[in-house]
Amino acid sequence: MKSRFSLSFLLSILLFLFASPALTQNNEIHVGTSVALTGKYARTGQEQLQGFQMWVEEVNERGGLLGKKVHLIHYDDESKPETGAKLYEKLITDDKVQLLIGPYSSDVTLAASTIAEKHNFPMVSSGASSSEIWARGYKNIFGLYTLADLYMDQIIELGKSKGLKKIALVYENTAFPRGVAEGVKRKAKELGMQIVFEEEYGKASTDFSSMIIKIKAKKADMVIGGSYLPDSTGFMRQAKEARLYAKIFAFAVGPGLPDFGHNLGLDAEGVMGNTQWEPTLKLPGAKEFAEKYKVRHGHEPGYHAGGGYGAGHVLEAAVKKAGSTDRDKVRAALFALDTVNAFGRFKVDATGKQIGKPAYAVQWLGGERHIVLPEEAATAKVFYPFKDWNKR
Amino acid sequence: MELLEPEILLQMLINGLLAGALYALLAGGLNLIFGVMRVINIAHAEFMLIGAFGAYVLFNVFGLHPLFSLLIIVPIIFVVGYYFQRVLIERVVDRPMLTSLLATYGVSIILINVGLLIFSSDFKSVPVLQGSFLIGDLAVSKPRAVAGLVSLVLSVGVYLFLDRTRLGKAVRAVSEHAQVAQICGIDVRQIRMLTFGMAAAMAGAAGVMLSIIYSFWPGSGVDFIQKCFAIIIIGGMGNFVGALYGGILLGVVESFVGGFISTQWAEAVAYLLLVTVLLVRPTGLKGVARA
Repeated sequence: MKSRFSLSFLLSILLFLFASPALTQNNEIHVGTSVALTGKYARTGQEQLQGFQMWVEEVNERGGLLGKKVHLIHYDDESKPETGAKLYEKLITDDKVQLLIGPYSSDVTLAASTIAEKHNFPMVSSGASSSEIWARGYKNIFGLYTLADLYMDQIIELGKSKGLKKIALVYENTAFPRGVAEGVKRKAKELGMQIVFEEEYGKASTDFSSMIIKIKAKKADMVIGGSYLPDSTGFMRQAKEARLYAKIFAFAVGPGLPDFGHNLGLDAEGVMGNTQWEPTLKLPGAKEFAEKYKVRHGHEPGYHAGGGYGAGHVLEAAVKKAGSTDRDKVRAALFALDTVNAFGRFKVDATGKQIGKPAYAVQWLGGERHIVLPEEAATAKVFYPFKDWNKR
Repeated sequence: MELLEPEILLQMLINGLLAGALYALLAGGLNLIFGVMRVINIAHAEFMLIGAFGAYVLFNVFGLHPLFSLLIIVPIIFVVGYYFQRVLIERVVDRPMLTSLLATYGVSIILINVGLLIFSSDFKSVPVLQGSFLIGDLAVSKPRAVAGLVSLVLSVGVYLFLDRTRLGKAVRAVSEHAQVAQICGIDVRQIRMLTFGMAAAMAGAAGVMLSIIYSFWPGSGVDFIQKCFAIIIIGGMGNFVGALYGGILLGVVESFVGGFISTQWAEAVAYLLLVTVLLVRPTGLKGVARA
């Protein structure tokens, strides 16, 4: 008798275990994502995740999506495209999530979006801006970020207006930095400026001294980097050591993050960059989000956090519009959506590419980063030219 | 072509020598361990990062300059390495190579993840000694100059220790033939502990130097350990002096390839050199063929 009891007990536990996923799925909506928690993109990936997690919390406080609780499943893609692709395969086939958020960085997104496309699963991409992603005729990848090609336009225009002619261009050999570089080359050609030096470097590069020697020899007026955080910081540090001078230093990603200023201290002064978003922008809910984020994580949110948060809102708006989590309906809703949330406007063209959101240029001034271009969003005036190292 | 101007060539040479000195210090320790106990310490770069994070902590908590923290960190890591050898490495000495490879690989994974738990995956750096010494048109980066010189002094110090002292002679004897050394009355176990402690301390010192040059995070070791493997094969497996030559050679060639071709190519140089050396002189620059 006793053994029979324990057997039935065991069976019921097993039954419960098997049944529980189905049970929870009925009253929960599972959203899946992978972000870089380790590796080169870890810092920015974490911020994106934190922003997204804040949306999950808030949407659940508001009563969830379609009356169901939102549950986030996330993994670490180690900043590697191949790992990201595997994880999205797992999210879709194994975890059977109902909604997808893209990973951080263009190269991981390139890989992950191929998986989403294979399963015909719409994916809202928060942390990717390389136009290559939307040039493949995919129907399931929806971008939030202003495109990489446009990143440096305002800064190059500024250089042109100051009479600068020679640009040195360096960039990492992955999708997003190459996208930035393509944009720089296009804009320089448009304005009749000359690219006097161009070189790619690997994802693991930490030593830019050889490049800097060559840029110095070319006497460039502007140094533009298609970079992420570690390389832009490393480059500026070594630029100072080698006394490389240019009238404008501008980098993608790095200068848009608080860490850039922390790591470089006074050497960050005057360096320009881009931002997808700043807490100071006049957008609905941006200020509240920034304050809440700061209390929670102890520092101001960068645009990656804003993007994660915004991606949540876009997903929410799309699901509400669709009235279900059905893939086809959500996809149609995302194509039709034109909305403004705390991160900015979301409107995509027929390829899913973001066309509603403008670009902003930032500059480090007095230990803080300010939007300096375009003027209507600026919180400070552009400081020009870059102060030479020996005059600091 | 403006690259062929003498000051630019000189600049590249100096950059390369300074980077090479750091490689040499790191690879020297790795090779010492291999020479004495036939163990390839995959966790070697993680010992380096312990040094780097040690410098980071001492700088941020006590405001200690990395050059001073060198005096604290190096002895500590020596002691850690000394007993670490006794507790773990000694058990895998004389076992098949795969056993020690797996053991040290395991240690490396554990150390990386402990590092991630404590320090997260953010890139850290120690902002001291920024800027450069200007000698005419030549700009020599202060942190690199200091790191390069300190590395060189330490490597030469270890060399002199090995070459001139009785204890150093014992280390070389064990490296040459452990059993004969034992018969001659050398405490081989003790020597192995000492060697590992010394090698770990060298890696730690390299880490402190690294902290003032580059940004680093707990996973930074991979790039360095791969280069070190190449260096010790180029220099000759188990030969301390070979590793010094190999390290400096790699630093200089990387710098010139970065200058004349591109930084992307510079990252592949270690392996191209490796293949070249293996083709021309399979035992490495200073290696001797072993049965």
